[in-house]
Amino acid sequence: MVRSKAPSRKQQSRGVDFKKIKRKIGRKLPPPKNATNTEIKSRAIILPEQTVASDKTGLAVSKKGLTLKELLQQSSHHNFKVRKDALVGIRNLFVKYPEELRLHKLAVVEKLRERISDDDKVVRETLYQLFKSDILPACKEDNQGALISLIMGYIFSAMTHLSIDVRLMSFKFLDLLIQHCPPAFYLNAEKILQNYGDMLCKNQFNLQDKGKLKIVLSGLVYCLSLLPSNDKEDDSCGMNIAEVQILHAFEPDIPKDFAGYFRIIEKLKDLVAVLVNYFNEFIPSVHSQSILDAQSFDCMLSMLQIVDLTVKYIVYGNEKYQLELQTSVPPPVTSDTSTQDQKFSPLLLKKLFIVFPLNPTHKLSEKDSDRYLILNIVISEIFFNFAQWICPPPVLMEKFLSFIEDLMSGQISSSIWSGTLNNEKHLLSLLPFVPKLVSTVECSWKARLVLAFTKAFKSCTILSAVKMACLSAMEEMLIPKQNLQYLDANDPEILGYQITWIRELPLLLILLGDGNPSCSQVVLHLLLRLGQFSLSNPHLAEEYDNLQGSLQEFYSIQLDDGSTRYGAFVRLPRDCQELSVCCLYYFSFLEPCLLTSLASCCICQKLEPFVLFRILDVLDSAYKAGHALIADYISFLITLLFQFEILPGKTCSVMEIEASFCMLEKVVVDMISLKPPLDNSCAMLRILTMVDSRRTQLSEQSIIKLSKILFGYLIEIAACFPEEDDQYTISNSILSRRYYLLPCLVLFDRSTKLLKLVLDMLQPLAINFDPMPTSHYYSQIANDLSRKIMAVASVILMISEDVKVQKVLSSCKAEINSILQSIHSLQSMDEVSMSIEERHKAQCAGNTFHVIR
Amino acid sequence: MEVVVASSSIDAGIGCWDIRTGNEQLRYKSCASPPHGLVSVGNRFLASSQPRESSTSGSILYWSWKKPQVEVKSFPAEPIKPLVSNSVGSYLIGGGASGYIYFWEVPTGRLLWKWHAHYRAVTCLVLSDDDSLLISGSEDGCVRVWSLFMIFDKIGRAEAKHLYEHSFSEHTLRVTDVVAGYGGSNAIIVSASEDRTCKVWSLSKGRLLRNIEFPSIINAIALDPGEHVFFAGGRDGKIYIAALGAGSSSDSIYGMHIIGSFSDHSKSVTCLSFCADGISLVSGSEDGLIRIWDTKSHNIIRMFRHSKGPVSNVLVVSRPEMILNPQASLRRKHLSVLPPALERYSDSTEEAVGLKAVIPDWSAPAEPLDVSYISEHVMNNQIEEIQRQGSYAAAEMETERLKQDLKKAAQMLQQLRKSYDGLHEFCVNELMSENGFNELYMK
Repeated sequence: MVRSKAPSRKQQSRGVDFKKIKRKIGRKLPPPKNATNTEIKSRAIILPEQTVASDKTGLAVSKKGLTLKELLQQSSHHNFKVRKDALVGIRNLFVKYPEELRLHKLAVVEKLRERISDDDKVVRETLYQLFKSDILPACKEDNQGALISLIMGYIFSAMTHLSIDVRLMSFKFLDLLIQHCPPAFYLNAEKILQNYGDMLCKNQFNLQDKGKLKIVLSGLVYCLSLLPSNDKEDDSCGMNIAEVQILHAFEPDIPKDFAGYFRIIEKLKDLVAVLVNYFNEFIPSVHSQSILDAQSFDCMLSMLQIVDLTVKYIVYGNEKYQLELQTSVPPPVTSDTSTQDQKFSPLLLKKLFIVFPLNPTHKLSEKDSDRYLILNIVISEIFFNFAQWICPPPVLMEKFLSFIEDLMSGQISSSIWSGTLNNEKHLLSLLPFVPKLVSTVECSWKARLVLAFTKAFKSCTILSAVKMACLSAMEEMLIPKQNLQYLDANDPEILGYQITWIRELPLLLILLGDGNPSCSQVVLHLLLRLGQFSLSNPHLAEEYDNLQGSLQEFYSIQLDDGSTRYGAFVRLPRDCQELSVCCLYYFSFLEPCLLTSLASCCICQKLEPFVLFRILDVLDSAYKAGHALIADYISFLITLLFQFEILPGKTCSVMEIEASFCMLEKVVVDMISLKPPLDNSCAMLRILTMVDSRRTQLSEQSIIKLSKILFGYLIEIAACFPEEDDQYTISNSILSRRYYLLPCLVLFDRSTKLLKLVLDMLQPLAINFDPMPTSHYYSQIANDLSRKIMAVASVILMISEDVKVQKVLSSCKAEINSILQSIHSLQSMDEVSMSIEERHKAQCAGNTFHVIR
Repeated sequence: MEVVVASSSIDAGIGCWDIRTGNEQLRYKSCASPPHGLVSVGNRFLASSQPRESSTSGSILYWSWKKPQVEVKSFPAEPIKPLVSNSVGSYLIGGGASGYIYFWEVPTGRLLWKWHAHYRAVTCLVLSDDDSLLISGSEDGCVRVWSLFMIFDKIGRAEAKHLYEHSFSEHTLRVTDVVAGYGGSNAIIVSASEDRTCKVWSLSKGRLLRNIEFPSIINAIALDPGEHVFFAGGRDGKIYIAALGAGSSSDSIYGMHIIGSFSDHSKSVTCLSFCADGISLVSGSEDGLIRIWDTKSHNIIRMFRHSKGPVSNVLVVSRPEMILNPQASLRRKHLSVLPPALERYSDSTEEAVGLKAVIPDWSAPAEPLDVSYISEHVMNNQIEEIQRQGSYAAAEMETERLKQDLKKAAQMLQQLRKSYDGLHEFCVNELMSENGFNELYMK
């Protein structure tokens, strides 16, 4: 049994090799064991809509039919070509649909900022263009704070990128950003400067890749130019007054100043130290080359500009923060700053100013020498700014002074550098220093500088910016600020120059004509200031008064053939006209010749009525202040009146006549009431009658005044020219009496009220004894009653001779009666002893009255 | 009693009217003051400058309320035109024809300081509401702001680049009037000039806030108490209303910021002043009339005739009530109320005396002061007292010293007494012995 078992086992094992499988037909076979599993398993596949197929009608799409969202997605694609294409796509999407940009600005920036540190150069470049041409210009108006905070972090991180190209590009981005929104600099000044410093220090640019250096430097120059450098700029940033509607308005607060002045200054000083070293490295290489190529010139120039801006800012800060320092908390790093100062100033002195002036070693072309000149000018600019801060050694000072002197007197172009230069352009940056220099340097230099300045002023062309800069420098030198005497006015030499300048002004004004209102305005403004100031210096005051002769041509002049040639005044815009009219007030004596030309200006049809009124206003004020003679002023007004009557139909003319008549009337009446001699009163009365119209325009007040005057005047005439017995021979005395009487008669004819008033005044004279010493003759008469009666009688006789006045007299019966009665009563009194002749006269007078009645 | 005080540029005296009743009060004689040349010094008396025509000298006159005659005459170094006094009446400031500003102390009459303020004559002076800033306008069109602290600060004066706080030179012609708003150094000021403009300036920022062009020259300005508008009296006889805080439409017939105007078809308005009620506006005109307007309805409430000549100044002053009792006035006759005349030149011994801020002790007027000021005298007494008291330790030392002195003196006394006793004994003995001797001898 056992055996049997064994074979069976063998059989079994044998049988295993090829197992017979019975298959039934119709049954499915089981899968073979070694079969490969071809089943595919996967998660769900989401096929995005086919871009081509989806419906995008009405959506903003780029040329390739992609929406903004898709493009933004693609901008972070791993393939640089796709990224670039996406950026290009975004750009032309924005060109086509500006609205998209406006709506999604911040979203776009948020996505694209990642690309600032993109590895691919082309992508960065495209991004730069995209920002430059579309995105940043669109961000100008609205809140820049959000944009800045979005983007700054990425720029800073790009600045510390490993690749130098990315770093360079990030500086370019920063530059771009700051140009479009300056607050970006104010907010992050310290960090930005730190980064610049690192870039310049650690990357030791070798002098070959000047292009890269230039990029960095130009960005830095722009940044620093945003630093405030003087107070004038501070003021100018104020709002335009005309637009302000509300007086006490809330002002939006964009930081314009820096809290961390000291920290910034430290950073800047470090930067300057690095740059000065660079600059010194440049010099030997430049000297070795035969020409100064554009790139190294640009680099050197930017370096110098940076140093210049830094020094300016330090000087500005010293002035501005000094007060705050004294009052508030002491500066946190006092010791540090002082050591900084100790290091900083010798650095400049030893390394920078020592190389001045930069002279070319080889004979150079015109363009190159021009470049050297520019560098020298910038160095001297740094120096003069520096001199305001720390007093430099006199040797250096001499060197720079002689440079500026040569430059102004135009010697540089001829002596040191060959060829002619456009000096004017270069002068512009140095001219503002002249006033300060002149006030500080010692005497010998003072005269030299002023002389050179005068030369420069005379030689430059009229319309150039240099002329305007000269004018502003001149204003500073002519008109001292409080407690700050720029020029010793007693120095005859300097006074001579000042007078030369002043004399140039009217000529300049005439040359400028009416084509350049802004320039004329500057000149006129200087003239005005001069006039306001002139009184404090007798020489200048005299000179200012002398300007009148030359100013005539500016207003108008009479030509030989009798016609008038109008100057620029008539055609200049109104604000210039106003300024020049205001200048008139400050002449201590208005000469007749100037008044003549003014009068002919006033008559000119082209002149606006407004300006005419201004002239009248100002002349009136000037007359009141005693700057014009009465005769001149009256003749001016009369000319105006007569001329205007010729030109009817002008709407303003009536008003005009009234205005000037009122002034004239007042002046004349006031003058007469001062009781001038008989002839003068007569002349003035005649003026009044001439100017006055048929129905009198005299005011109530002046009629009252006039009545007093006329009363004395009439009695005086009566006393001076007694009536002669022989009525038929017309004697001299009668003729002159008529002459004097005529204006009174005309006035009486025109104004009955005046006559009544005068008659009223005659009456008390006849009754009362009070001596009223109003005039010489009158006081004599007053003592003697009989003579008084005589005088009254003869006055009445005199008046009544005229036919026209007789008519008027007939309306004043009441007054005449009362006079008559008083005369009668007087005659009957005992103490009055009258000769027969006198009695006869009185009787005659009485008869005349009866006739009139 | 609220009164309107007015003077003229020709000699017509100073008119004085009660606002409430319209009655004319006393007329003070012989006064011909230029514009801005009349002030009431601390409401206690009137002072006016009198520059003489065509002469290089002038005077400043004082009138007390009770007498029509001039009481005190002073003659400064040059003719003074504008005058201003601080609200307490301790200082008087005058502007000279040469551009100098003079600063006097009223109670003593000392000239504390004068300084060259402008290139040409000073035309108007005004103090800010807290009396800390002086604003001056000049014929050269310049408006300058001065801090009065500077006057007492010699070191600061020497150090400063310029004495003024601000110098506004935008006006092209003579400045005719300046007014200051409320708020001390944060106030606004408004200036008018013959260049037909009024300009609003900010004292805190030091810049121009608003420029308003008028159709005529503005002679005088008055600020509405709420600073909503200001009133500008023109040479054409109109009083213009110009907006400050009030809104204004740009299509006004007169121009930007000018809301409206009212007039009485008179001659030019020369001076303006607000009454205490803040509604009535007093205007003086060249025709010699003084009108009181209701600024709400633009009607004339009252009219006073001052003189035939132009009115140059109007002030609204709350005058101390006059006591009509003749006995009282007689009794007070002997007390001279007014301070001495102003000095012509500054005192050279000023160094020795030293500058003291003075708060005058006006006890004479009948009306009690609303605030009691402590006079310098009282203050000095108090200081002395405090010094006398000294510290406790010092007192201790003092007593110790005194005790020792006492001891010494006692010892001395003892000694003296001893020697006296000795001497006495000796003398007695001597006498006795002599007597004895004599007796013996006699015997």
